Amino acid sequence: MVDTPLREPTFLILTALAVEPMHGYGLIREVAALSEGRLSLRPGTLYGALDRLVDGGLVHIDREETVDGRLRRYYRLSPTGATTLHAETRRLRHNVDVATARLRKRARAAGPTVRRPVEGLT
Amino acid sequence: MSDLEGRYRLLLRLYPGDYRRVRGEEILGTYLDLANLNRRWPSVADAADLLAGAVRERLRAAGASDLIPGVRLAAALAFVTATGLAGLWAGAEQITANGDRSVPTFGPFATIGIVVWVAWLLVAAVDAVAGVRWTRLAIVLALVLTAAVVPVADLVGMPRPRLFHLVPQATLGLLALALLAHRPRWQRIVTLPTALGVGLSISASLAGRGAFSYRWDDGGILLTYTGVALLAVAVLTAAVLSLRGDARGLWATLVLLIPIGLLSLGPLSALTSDLVGANYPALPVIAGTAVAVVLGSAGSLAVAVAACRRGTTRGPLGDPEAAPATSCPTCGR
Repeated sequence: MVDTPLREPTFLILTALAVEPMHGYGLIREVAALSEGRLSLRPGTLYGALDRLVDGGLVHIDREETVDGRLRRYYRLSPTGATTLHAETRRLRHNVDVATARLRKRARAAGPTVRRPVEGLT
Repeated sequence: MSDLEGRYRLLLRLYPGDYRRVRGEEILGTYLDLANLNRRWPSVADAADLLAGAVRERLRAAGASDLIPGVRLAAALAFVTATGLAGLWAGAEQITANGDRSVPTFGPFATIGIVVWVAWLLVAAVDAVAGVRWTRLAIVLALVLTAAVVPVADLVGMPRPRLFHLVPQATLGLLALALLAHRPRWQRIVTLPTALGVGLSISASLAGRGAFSYRWDDGGILLTYTGVALLAVAVLTAAVLSLRGDARGLWATLVLLIPIGLLSLGPLSALTSDLVGANYPALPVIAGTAVAVVLGSAGSLAVAVAACRRGTTRGPLGDPEAAPATSCPTCGR
């Protein structure tokens, strides 16, 4: 069982796998792209996370290939993983909605900003 | 095979054999895919990543994967305790020699130890405003000062704190190096004022009493009280977390046994002294007790990990090779 709420690397790994199965190198690149370069997973960390996700039944092994003599194992999101990702996305969306509403309320309470023309420029 | 591949293979040997046979080529391939073409040696970050991954995998294979989160929890408790003690001893440093002018002091302070305690308080200040990397760097500097104060004080002929104070502080500091990178900001901010408040108020309340033995004795009852308080907090945390099926607290308690034992070194040495028939706890008795505390605590941790290993055999890719024969008493798996 993987603890929820998911940590950001776990969330992004599941998100990366939501479209299609991916191998380790592809996952590292995809997670970096999804986080706009903020999160750079290293292989030791990635495979540790994949171990936990496979143990928890959120990710399954899809297939294996050998490219240029190197083994590539592809991982895919399991139905349980998709359900967990859906639930986590709902939770995060709810938080974002609540925070956005509160910030709008705060902005309204602060009142409209009056822009005055600068003398001599109009 | 390139030099780089050979060196990555060497590092991969840190992983358990079973896991390496199934996952080794895949992990190696990913490192090589990511490596610059001209690179001949794994980077320091890659080596650290492989080492951390190997430790994690060995613990996972032993069914003790909660140990690392448990160490993180122990680190947080150790950090708060180390800061609290630094506040306490910083207050004690202002009690020079009960007015006896013939006793050497370090300026207005009792010993040169004030530098060490201020360094530990600064660690908490750094932790409140900067990231965990800076906190760890500050801890390392404080550890260096804690270790260096003994030879430096002896060299320049100045009074220093006793090892009864320095050794538990260093042990707590070493454990605090495992602090979690992302802790809530409030936790980081409250550590210093809480520790300072508790530490300074206790030392101020004891300033006029003869029982306060920062300088002349084994640290008196305060160290033991601190050890007992740390044990109580750890056990209470473990009990609360266990109700939620979370074994982190149990591992944290086991990990904390070493600093807790060292905090209680005074009474434990007196006990050992009685057991071996010595008149008083001389240095060999104290040193022997400290070694016994460290070995006994480390041994109990090793026994718990071994018990988990016997209870769970997990396959390299998460497929249990065998169902748990019995539930592990520590991690509950």
